[in-house]
Amino acid sequence: MSWVLQRVDDRLIHGQVVVAWGHHLRPRRIWVVDDASAASSWERDLLAAAAPGVEVRVVTVAGAAQAYAEEAAAQGAAFLLMRDLKTAATLIEAGATIAKLNLGGIHYAPGRTKVNEYIYLDADDRSRSRRLLEDGVALEVQDVPAAKPLSLASLDPEIDRV
Amino acid sequence: MMTRVPALLVMHADLGAALLRAAASVYGPVEGVTVLSNEGLSREQLEQRIGEQVSGWTHGGLVLTDFWGGSCHICGIAAARGHGDIVVVTGLNLPTLLDYLHNRDEYPIAGLAERLQRKGRDSIRLHTGQTA
Repeated sequence: MSWVLQRVDDRLIHGQVVVAWGHHLRPRRIWVVDDASAASSWERDLLAAAAPGVEVRVVTVAGAAQAYAEEAAAQGAAFLLMRDLKTAATLIEAGATIAKLNLGGIHYAPGRTKVNEYIYLDADDRSRSRRLLEDGVALEVQDVPAAKPLSLASLDPEIDRV
Repeated sequence: MMTRVPALLVMHADLGAALLRAAASVYGPVEGVTVLSNEGLSREQLEQRIGEQVSGWTHGGLVLTDFWGGSCHICGIAAARGHGDIVVVTGLNLPTLLDYLHNRDEYPIAGLAERLQRKGRDSIRLHTGQTA
């Protein structure tokens, strides 16, 4: 079973992931792919404590790429969390096979423009999104399971103009 | 009299403001409690806003949040790091907030946090069966 949710969300582990998606998909493991978090034992402990009853693995992009295929064949469901599209694109370039990326939270920052209430993208994000789509990766905007998934391209016509 | 323990409510959507308004309807006008919503904020942004609030506490305080594992809890923990004697309390409800307001001048921070934990647990009760 393994990967059941591959999500880009700058909050990494938080309520929507643990409560909503967690209740819906019952993961055994949550992989947080984030170089900065992986480098901090304090941050690793914090993320692990945030999801009681689930094994949390906080790894670098390189570590995730190395473990990705083995995890895909493992027993039980797994979540993959990344804080931004750059991390997702890097992981895919490193060999991870991801058919669909859930976009659950890329919040406002200077230079980003609004796609919806929880997705804001800058020019680099749009360029990466275009390349991911060309490579066959579906980009679905959906914060919680009860919400209707929408394609990023349908919400953001600028994706087609990049 | 102890030094008053300050509190920051960090919660999803409008819950913190609504909870404080509800508390005021029972307790009376409330001073010294700040409310922050996580709405529309990245983890970095929420951490920064919590940090701005708690950095003004000279003797520590309480960050009161809604549920364990949510961004309010996680950012509260991260933002409190390095700011002294701060306890993050999760699972806050109206009885707990009222208990905080009634006891914030009576306890040290850790003692008050433990009292709120007990109050929160005790506040959920079941009333079943025939009543008359």
